[in-house]
Order: sequence, then C-alpha cells, then structure tokens
Amino acid sequence: MSGVELLSAPLRMRIRRLPPQLINQIAAGEVIERPASVVKELVENAFDAGARHVEVDVEQGGVRLIRIRDDGCGIDREDLGLALSRHATSKIASLEDLERVASMGFRGEALPSISAVARLTLTSRTADVPCGWQVSADGSESDFDIQPAQHAQGTTVEVRDLFYNTPARRKFLRAEKTEFGHIQTLVQRMALARFDVGFRLRHNQREVLRLQPDAEEGGRPERIGALCGPDFLEQALRVEFEASGLRLHGWVGLPTFSRSQADLQFFYVNHRPIRDKLVGHAIRQAYQDVLYHQRQPVYVLYLEIDPALVDVNAHPAKLEVRFREGRMVHDFLFSALHRAIAGHRPGRTASVVAAPATENPAPLAEQPQQSQQPLFRVAETPQRPYLSSGDSETLGDLRRLYPASLPNPTETRAEQEIPPLGYALAHLKGVYILAENAQGLILVDGHAAHERITYERMKRQYQAGGIASQPLLLPVRIRLSRADADLAEEYGEHLARLGIELRRTGEGSVLVRSVPALLEGSDVERLVRDTLADLREHGSSGRLQETLNTVLASMACHGSVRAGRKLTVPEMNALLREMEATERAGQCNHGRPTWVQLDTQALDRLFLRGR
Amino acid sequence: MKFRILREDLLLPLQQVIGVIERRQTLPILSNVLIEVEAGRMELAGTDLEVQLVANTDMEGKESGRFTVPARKLMDICRLLPEGGELAFDVKPERVSLQCGKSRFILGALPAENYPNFEHGDPEAVFDCEAQLLRRAIEKTAFAMAQQDVRYYLNGLLLEIRQGRIRAVASDGHRLALFEDVVDGMPDVARQIIIPRKGVLELGRLLARVEGSASVRISANNVRILFGTFSFAVKLVEGRYPDYERVIPKTACRVVVVDRHELRGALTRVAVLSNEKFKGVSLEIGEGLIRLRAQNPEHEEAEDEVPADVSGEAFAVGFNASYLLDAINAVASDAVRMSFTDANGSCLIEDLSDSRYRFIVMPMRL
Repeated sequence: MSGVELLSAPLRMRIRRLPPQLINQIAAGEVIERPASVVKELVENAFDAGARHVEVDVEQGGVRLIRIRDDGCGIDREDLGLALSRHATSKIASLEDLERVASMGFRGEALPSISAVARLTLTSRTADVPCGWQVSADGSESDFDIQPAQHAQGTTVEVRDLFYNTPARRKFLRAEKTEFGHIQTLVQRMALARFDVGFRLRHNQREVLRLQPDAEEGGRPERIGALCGPDFLEQALRVEFEASGLRLHGWVGLPTFSRSQADLQFFYVNHRPIRDKLVGHAIRQAYQDVLYHQRQPVYVLYLEIDPALVDVNAHPAKLEVRFREGRMVHDFLFSALHRAIAGHRPGRTASVVAAPATENPAPLAEQPQQSQQPLFRVAETPQRPYLSSGDSETLGDLRRLYPASLPNPTETRAEQEIPPLGYALAHLKGVYILAENAQGLILVDGHAAHERITYERMKRQYQAGGIASQPLLLPVRIRLSRADADLAEEYGEHLARLGIELRRTGEGSVLVRSVPALLEGSDVERLVRDTLADLREHGSSGRLQETLNTVLASMACHGSVRAGRKLTVPEMNALLREMEATERAGQCNHGRPTWVQLDTQALDRLFLRGR
Repeated sequence: MKFRILREDLLLPLQQVIGVIERRQTLPILSNVLIEVEAGRMELAGTDLEVQLVANTDMEGKESGRFTVPARKLMDICRLLPEGGELAFDVKPERVSLQCGKSRFILGALPAENYPNFEHGDPEAVFDCEAQLLRRAIEKTAFAMAQQDVRYYLNGLLLEIRQGRIRAVASDGHRLALFEDVVDGMPDVARQIIIPRKGVLELGRLLARVEGSASVRISANNVRILFGTFSFAVKLVEGRYPDYERVIPKTACRVVVVDRHELRGALTRVAVLSNEKFKGVSLEIGEGLIRLRAQNPEHEEAEDEVPADVSGEAFAVGFNASYLLDAINAVASDAVRMSFTDANGSCLIEDLSDSRYRFIVMPMRL
C-alpha cells in the first residue's frame, strides 16, 4: 500500500518551504559524512581562530561525544547565537573576500550543519571579558538561550549523539575502532598542515596523540613519522622550490620507497589538505620512468600560492580546489619534483637496507676470506676457476699496462676520500658488483645500473638532437569525436613540434601525415588518441615523450652489459663512477633499485658482533 | 596399408611441405603431414590453417589410403637415412612403422579424417602465367610489406589483375614497391586480392626452383596456385588495400641517375654512423654528385660522395637508409633513376632497363 501512496504522492503535492532544520540536515549530508568530518570542520575553525593548542576528546568513535577545545580568539557573547545559524561567518564579508580566502572555512555552514544532526554545545570566551558564555542547540530552535559558563580564553565545542535524529546516516557508520581510526588519521593529517599548533587527541579518556607546538623544524620528523612511518624521512628527499610566486616544500619518498596503495600522499595548498586530480597527475609524471609498474609514490608536500589564484569554493568539504592557472601549477609541480628526483645521487641520501635478522647468516659467512685482500693478488692467483691460464696472462698484461689507473682500494681508503659508491671488490655470479665504501658494503645490480646510464645518455642525446620526423607515404586516417578533432587542430602546432603532423579532414576525422622517426612502426592511432585524451584531461601530455622513452629504454636495455658478462675491476669502478654522475641512477628503467648499502652495523648484526 | 617409396622421392616434397607447418602448435594434428596414397601417386599436405601446400610425388604400388604422421620427425628420419634407400611403410590406425635397411621406426599417427580441410570455393578468376613471372613479382615487392602493422591489410601483398595485366604492390606506409607485367590470355575481369605475408614469403620460396607455367585460381576468400608438382593455397586478407595509385608521383622536377653499386656502397658506409634506430641519412644533391651525410646521437659524422647525373636544381633530402637500400638492392640494372617532386614529397626509384617495377620511398625530415 505504501508503495502506491509513494508513487501517487507527487501528483497531489504542492510546493512549500522546507523547515530550517531539514535544510540544515540536507546541508549536513554534504559536509558531515562521519564523525571524522565533524572533527575536520571544528579543527579548521580552531585554526581560523588562531589557536596555538587544540584538544580533541572522542568517546565511542565520536558517535557519543566529540569535544574540541582550543585557545583561540573566542566568540563574542552576542555572536554565539549567530554562530549557530546558517550562512553566518566572521571569515568573509564580501565577494572579494571569497575570491581570496585565506582562512580554512568560509561557508558559514559547519556549526548549523553539525547542530542539525547532533546535540551541540558551544562555550566560548574572548580575551577581554570576565567569563565565558555557553549556548546549546539541537538544530530545532530559533532562539538561543545563552548561559554564563566557566571557560578559559578560547572555544569549546561539544558534539554529542551524532546522527541521533538521522537514523539512515547512523546505519552507515562503521565500528567504533574504524571511525576512531578515521579521526586519528585526520588529526595527524591536520597536524601536518600546521606545525605551529599543538595537538592532543584522547579516545575514551585515553591519550592517543600528543604533539607539542613548534615553530622550528625540530618536531616535524615526529609528526611525519607518526603519519608516514618512521622510515619515511630516511627514504625521502627534501623539496624546496620557489618560482613565479609559488612555493613548494616538503618531502617526497624515493622511488624505491613506493607503495602499492596511494595511501601516503599528502598534499596541502595553503595549509589545506586536498586531493586533486591535477596535482596527482603532475606528481605521477614527475615520477615517470623511475617508479616500478603500478607503484604509488609517497609524499608530504606543501604548496603556497596566492589565495586569489585558488578557488576553494569548489567542493563542500573543500577536498578539491580549482587553480586559476592550472597549467602553470601543473608545470611548476612537475618541474620541481622532476628535478628533485633526478638530482638524487648516491651519497646524498643513503638507501640503507636493514640487514635481515640473524636467522640465516650462512650465505655471507661462507664468503671466502680473499674478498678482503687486495684485488690484484686475487686476480693473479689461480683461485678463480673461471680464468683459464691464457686469461690470467692477459689480465697480468693489462695490469702492467694500467698500473696507475687501478688504485688499490685498501691504500686509497687511507689516502683520499672514498666516492659514495666506493671501489669495486668483485663481481658476483656475473650479476652483482660488490663494492666497499666508507659505510660498508655496496651491492650493485650491474645490468640495471648500466641500463639506466645508457638510457639517460640516450634521452639527453635525443633531446639535444632535435626530432626527426618520418612523413607517411600512406597517411593514417583516424576517426575522432568532434571535440577531439577540434583539440587535435588546436594543438596541431604543439604536436608538429613533437614530430606528429595532423590535418583535419572532416568534422570527426584527422589524417596523420608524419610521425617521429623513432616511432615508425608503432601504433600511431593509439598514440594520437591517448595523447588527445591527456590534452583534454590535463591540458598537457607527456604521452609522446613517454612512448619515445619506452623506445629509448628498450634500446638502452639491448645496449647495456648483460647479466652474466664478467666485468673486470676497472670496468666495475668506471660503472660506479658513472652511476654517481647519472641522474636517477638509483633505479633502473623499470623502477627497480640498482644498488643497496649494507653498512658495517648491518654486517655486525649478521654476525652478532659487539653484542 | 603397406607401400614402399624411395627416400629421395619422399624427402624432397616433404622438405617443401614442412615450410608451412609451424614448429609450435596448440592443435597437435597441425604438426602432422597428411599423406594420401593412391594408384602409384602420393600426395603430401601441410597447413597452418592459413596456408596450405600439397606436393605430389610418384611411387610404385597399387594400395590406397590416408594417414597423418608428425611431419618434422618424418622429415628428420628421411634426411638421416642413407641416400638411395627404400622406405617400407606399414600403416596401422594408430601406429605407422617404417623400415629402411636395418633402421626401423614406429611413429604415432592421427586419423586422417581429423585433418583440417582447406575449403577452396568456386574460382571467380582463373588465369595461367609463367611461374617465373610470379616469382619476380614477389621478389621485387615482398620486402616492402609491413610486418605486424595495426593496418592488417598492409601485412600482405596486393595482387591486382586488370586489362590483361598483373600487378603486385606492397607497402608498409613508408615505402611502396610495385611490379607490373602483361599476361597473355588473361580473362577480362578486374580483381584485387591481398595475400598474407606468410603466404607470400612461402610462395616466393617455392617458386624459386620452378620452371614452366603456373595456374592461378582466385575464389571469394582464397587463392590457389598450381605449379610443377605443387598446389599452393592461401586464405586472403579481407579488407580494402589503400589507393596506392595516388601516391605514385606523376611529375618529376628533379631527376638523378646514379650508379647503383656506388650509391649502395656509399649508403652502407655512411649508415654506420647514423641513428641506429631510424638510420637517417641526408642526401645533398648538387651538380654532378650526391653528397651523403649521417650523424648519430653521439655526434659522430660520416660523409661520402657519389658522382651522379643530376637534372634540376640542387637540393637536400633525408632518408631512412634501409628503405633506400632495400629499393636499390631490388633494382637489377647498373644505373638507377631517382625522381623527386620536392624535398618533402616521395622519391620514385626506377630501373633504367626494366620498366616493369618501380619503388617509392618517403623521405625523412632530419
């Protein structure tokens, strides 16, 4: 029966105004999704009030109680009621203010939305009054009863029984632990936005998190470590880049410190945490060809930009933003990060592998003692079974030929500074180069390292050489949507510079007349379609470059020393020196690491030394 | 069924048939050869479902029957038996035993009824021509066929019959090769067919040693060519071949005649220092000579000069050296004529003494 009623209802309905509480509940639906959303809105308010310290108390995952107390500027007695009504705010006053929002909030919706779905108590005291004032609301009242209350300077917002009047929402809540987990992550995330604000988070009266405010950088590792894991800072590069009014700073994880999930990616625009497609794309592009397959980079980055150049009024929870100069921000982020990642060389930050615990020390223990002796004796003695007598003679000749260029590593260690990747000791199984540096043992995958060196050289040469294009005898016709064909026409010149020459031949078709010479024989149609899709989405495309790089990478792979080819010590040393001088030498073309360090402590641990 | 056959009578046709049988198979029977014996004749057939080759050979005996045995194993056995030996076959449903002198082998057999049948269909156009003409048509064009191009119709050879002429065209989108000749007694039909790459290469190989005439039978979806003791059939590539006539340059404003061997020598030398991937070589064509230059990404340079008979203004043009070399190598005469419309347009390459074939190569912007 009820179904029939529902169906026929619209026919008889008249248009009428919604009651204010329902309006607020609808608004709350956008902003207040779960307890963590309440915490987000209220902590942002605390930031905007200039708080130096924020305390968050949570009970039962935030469903029973969320209390947020700050020491900010407080709210005047007269404004308390207004604060709880819709579209009332102190943060902006005019359209001009909206166009350059510097505060976290501005919509004037947080408090009324929360009070529409929970029982809210607001207590506040400003600096210049003798006592605080308190007001309570559950979304239904129009007049507020303001009571005096005891309170230090600042504001406390108490939210009880969240979603008590919206059972539908309540049903979607997860377990207490999960909801609190969200709150904890959120507080940590917010804590990374403002290092100068102290935080305390308690769950069911138990302290979970305590962060001291700090203006300097001293406390930062602690906060970052809490969020990204203690290894992150060791495995991350510091980024500091400023250009054309934009400033980017923070940390990006080394390509080898990547994750399978995009869960450790924190990006802040003017202290506001956001998740933005444009930003994500720029960062992914910067990591291009150093990241292994589908791995996700790890980063904590802060972008500072003139508030007038960002529109934060694009998303109710302000998770997305719009950049006025999207293309410029994209290029800025890309070039800053690309440079940072490319510039990472061995020796600047060490990628240290933790030695496996002592369960299985056998393989290393079996290593022959000779590896510690000067190398030439090893080469001369017939202990290496793979050297025929003829070979050892040649080696002896070689040694006489180049006596000076083959420094004895044991002597060098004392005499001059040891390069970051040290000096080669031996070639293991024709694959791994063992080298000794100041910290201990270096293991290098010879093929992977050489592949990267060849690849980087080829890329440099290709870029320097200009692009040869191969006109097609039989042009390729591609059917496109009209919008894509327009785009192809619009970017025609840009594409021509890259070697692809297109001509519009109809509403929805283009004719490809030439392709980059390096890419002849590849699927032109797919390349053009993918490039256009990128241009449509992001206004720029690295697709062509990526495809060219793939060709160069496979050429580099074929042009590099193969695993299994035995390298001599001078060859290995030359490779190590070149690695030190090559960009992105820490990863091979496929994003696998090329070298690891086993330092003396790690080795000591293996043998239980000094315990 | 029992029969005897001379080693040589079996080995030669078997070696031809093996060419179409793929080494690795998902369908076991496709690695077998189908042998049909009937009244003093033996027929050997191999197929990969796209190409089918049937070879005939004479033998003694009156028995008849059909069976299939692993082709490569049978060939290896025949090959390794002493010359002039006689093989005695004893065919049982699942086992085929053969004996030659003291050597004895038992091969597993699969039933002949399961061997895939190659549907021939009704011929729509039939004509006879010299087998060597077909061979030349393939030899002059096959190198320009595309390989695994997404435009699948380029991965084959266009065979066109029209007005008493036969034409073969191959192109990979960068260069094109065309062969054309008159065939007497050609029926008055116009047909265009595309023979897939593998079929073309296999046919070229088979025709190399055949004299006499060949009979070509084109049906809706395959073509069968009978020559010598062979019957070769191949499924056609569906689809329309691009309008190749449009790309043949009609007017030439610059013509260069150059010694083929000298040009080839210079190109090969200069190409050593070209980009290893696309082999870019630039040709500066001036009065009485062609200057060839190449540079590789390491900025190493090569330069060479070839005397040439040049008409028209001096100009420079770039080429993929391999494309140019392929065309020059297919030319038979000592001198080769290259005609250009402009520096960006295509280049027509012709044999001075034989007008039956032409090559078109697209230049490259270096």
